[in-house]
Amino acid sequence: MKPAALGPNKNAKGRSKTGNLFTEIWKHRMTYTLLIPGIIWLILFAYLPMGGLSLAFKHYKANMGIWGSPWVGLENFKYVFRDPTFAQAVWRTLYINIIKLIITFPFPILLALLLNELRMRKTKKLFQTIFTFPQFLSWIIVSGIVINVLSYDGLLNSALQLLGLPTINFLGSEPMFLPMLILTDIWKSTGWGAIIFLAAISGIDQDQYESAQIDGASRMQQIFKITLPNILPTVTVMFILNVGGLMSAGFDQIFNLANAATQNVSQVLDVYIYRITFQSSTDFSFSTAVSLFRSLVNMILLLAADRVAKLMGGDGLFR
Amino acid sequence: MNTKKLFKPLLAVALSAVMLTVTACGKDTASSGGNEKDADGNYKDKLKISVAQTTEVKDGVLDNEFHKFWMDKFNVEWDYNYVQWDSWPEKLRLWINSGDLPDVASWNYVHGDFMNYVDQGLLYKFPDDWKERWPNVAAAYKLTGLGDKLEELTGGTYILPKPVYYQNKPADPLVNQIGVIAIRKDWAKAVGFELKDAYTTSELIHYAELVKEKDPGKLGSKLVPISYTADDALTNIIMANSEHSRVESAFYKGEDGKFHWGPADPETLTGLKLMQKAYKEGLLNPEFYTWKNNEGSDNFRVKGVAAMMSLGGLASYRQDMDKNMQKNLGVSSDDLVHTAIVLGDDGKYRNLEQPNFWSALIFSPNISKEKFERIMDIIDYSTTKEGQMLLNMGFEGKDWKYDENKEPVSLLPEGTTLEDKYPARFEGLYILGDDFSIVNPAIKKEYRDRAVELFKEKAKLGSEGGKLATYDWDVQLYDSKAKSQASFDYQNEYANLILQGGDLEANWKKWVQSKQSLVQPVLDELNSKFAK
Repeated sequence: MKPAALGPNKNAKGRSKTGNLFTEIWKHRMTYTLLIPGIIWLILFAYLPMGGLSLAFKHYKANMGIWGSPWVGLENFKYVFRDPTFAQAVWRTLYINIIKLIITFPFPILLALLLNELRMRKTKKLFQTIFTFPQFLSWIIVSGIVINVLSYDGLLNSALQLLGLPTINFLGSEPMFLPMLILTDIWKSTGWGAIIFLAAISGIDQDQYESAQIDGASRMQQIFKITLPNILPTVTVMFILNVGGLMSAGFDQIFNLANAATQNVSQVLDVYIYRITFQSSTDFSFSTAVSLFRSLVNMILLLAADRVAKLMGGDGLFR
Repeated sequence: MNTKKLFKPLLAVALSAVMLTVTACGKDTASSGGNEKDADGNYKDKLKISVAQTTEVKDGVLDNEFHKFWMDKFNVEWDYNYVQWDSWPEKLRLWINSGDLPDVASWNYVHGDFMNYVDQGLLYKFPDDWKERWPNVAAAYKLTGLGDKLEELTGGTYILPKPVYYQNKPADPLVNQIGVIAIRKDWAKAVGFELKDAYTTSELIHYAELVKEKDPGKLGSKLVPISYTADDALTNIIMANSEHSRVESAFYKGEDGKFHWGPADPETLTGLKLMQKAYKEGLLNPEFYTWKNNEGSDNFRVKGVAAMMSLGGLASYRQDMDKNMQKNLGVSSDDLVHTAIVLGDDGKYRNLEQPNFWSALIFSPNISKEKFERIMDIIDYSTTKEGQMLLNMGFEGKDWKYDENKEPVSLLPEGTTLEDKYPARFEGLYILGDDFSIVNPAIKKEYRDRAVELFKEKAKLGSEGGKLATYDWDVQLYDSKAKSQASFDYQNEYANLILQGGDLEANWKKWVQSKQSLVQPVLDELNSKFAK
């Protein structure tokens, strides 16, 4: 059995663990004080609303409130699983988001590596700003741009017409919908996603690069032998977090880019929840039941990804 | 570090938390006031009333004479909330459920929601004697039919369904105003297409084919032969062939006494086939299903590039079209536009029997007695003849007068409408504009006469061999979780079906099958309760 990390020496002095904890907290009291607003925020907006999940097992009545509404057991889930659109939405969500994750996930890493290789600081800042800017545009604006470019009388089709080529119905094509999601996602999110990897790269000990250069390592060798292995823990954590969000990603993008022609390939779970909550008769218990199901699947995916990462020898989220 | 140093950040955090709590838990302090009147009969106390409507009131508009008249007469200050058409149901749902409903709001009545809201105390319950106190409102309310039915269900009055017609019902039976199209008369003549009062769907498709082939407007690729949105296509192609294809009448009692689901009827497939034909031939715009609101009609009346659009049967719509064409194209629509009704390909007329209401007024459950009474006073006045004339004609002696035959005539300059002079007259909260549009002299007599003529023709065709979807109170007022769940966005579902590759009939059958797990429970419930 391994010795406890904190135990022996302090126990030897005869002080309790609780006492040590308070001593540590007092020692770092300023840091803990600064943590308080964050903790309050987390309690108010993340933990307290969790009580609302009980609605999934109730028949919600606004006048009785969340706590006073009558319990109905699993009745809401009976209606959820009866709707074939729900099952389709689940599979469609996983399909779209897994493909998006596989294709889009490496791009921020690649961009971070490329930006890191730029030696001129001003050029590096300029490119970083250019790549990060699209993140600050909402999906409504991005979808407006995309629709103006790709619509039947949009920029691209006008160019095709000028060249004497036939026009293409980009927006109404089911096969083109997923590539459109992936391309717009890469355009919008890559720069922002690269920031965290750039931060990880900046934390790498520069001595390693100097030693490698003395040993005659090329730039590519330095990337593969030093940079990538050093940022691997960050990559793993980011991947696990992305997997944990597979069931809930992409509502703004998909909702704004979808239309009647693509509804068979765009009905993801978030769009389904939106539709049943706001576009048909109001039933918050039903919507909560669907949301709870989504959160459960997300949690299972997150734990599974964490476990797989550990089995493969990497660091997981939970120690 | 001493304790004082620690105290400052702690105090800041505590203050932030207090402010957050106060903000989150803060409650509007409703202003209250009396409805006492002074010696001149004016209200003593000014009340600030929040109102939510789908009429857009732009900045500064409330300063005009018309709005001031209402504010002065009833001593109110409006807190106006414009609700966009596209977000109307969602916004009202959020307001009602969160307890943020303005004092009075227009709501697109949905029966299932209504019963839930009443059950949960989310709507204001009217005092028992309201009909005696506001008799004009009560008279209009009575004509809707819905009000009395709901009172039987809930034991009180919670909403005011808005009457479509009050004094000027154009035809009997009353048929929904939808299902009237406009075509370019000049282009029809140029391509040798006969002008008639009613066309089958295929005849209209043939007209569009002729226009596409001969391009009488010399528009080339800009031409849109049939400028329909997905909703227009549902109304004028699918419903024209299948009266139970729309959400309003999808569940219906058949001749066998059992309940059926209209979208699964073969007539719906007939409509879908015609719609797909129009799409495949390039008569409908390649992206018609992405169009919203006026995008379909604007091609006709603003851009002048469409041969056909969905108009609707109200004289005011025709007047708006004329105004738009004059303003944007510099032409008189009288020379260019022909209106007609649409028949199914079997020559039968189909539409929805029109209950005499559309949408409703609802009141916040937290409204003060004074505010409720003041609003009811406003509504009561607006339903009187004087109020209706003011709302629809403006001020007597200034905007209109009675002629020697005691008929009202407009005094507005040629080309000026009341909307130009007094924009956004939202004070007509209750009776819909459809009623007065039948007699409104501000609308060209030809347009009014044509509207009534088409209403009568629809009623005649509908009752003599036609197929009107009857308004079944049993179905409409039946509420269950299964029924709420089996509510589909039919216009987009149909658009998606005709856009899919492969055999349309096979796709439609597959689609019908895929909906059965939601549809069948509703049919079972309806059959067990109301079938013969």
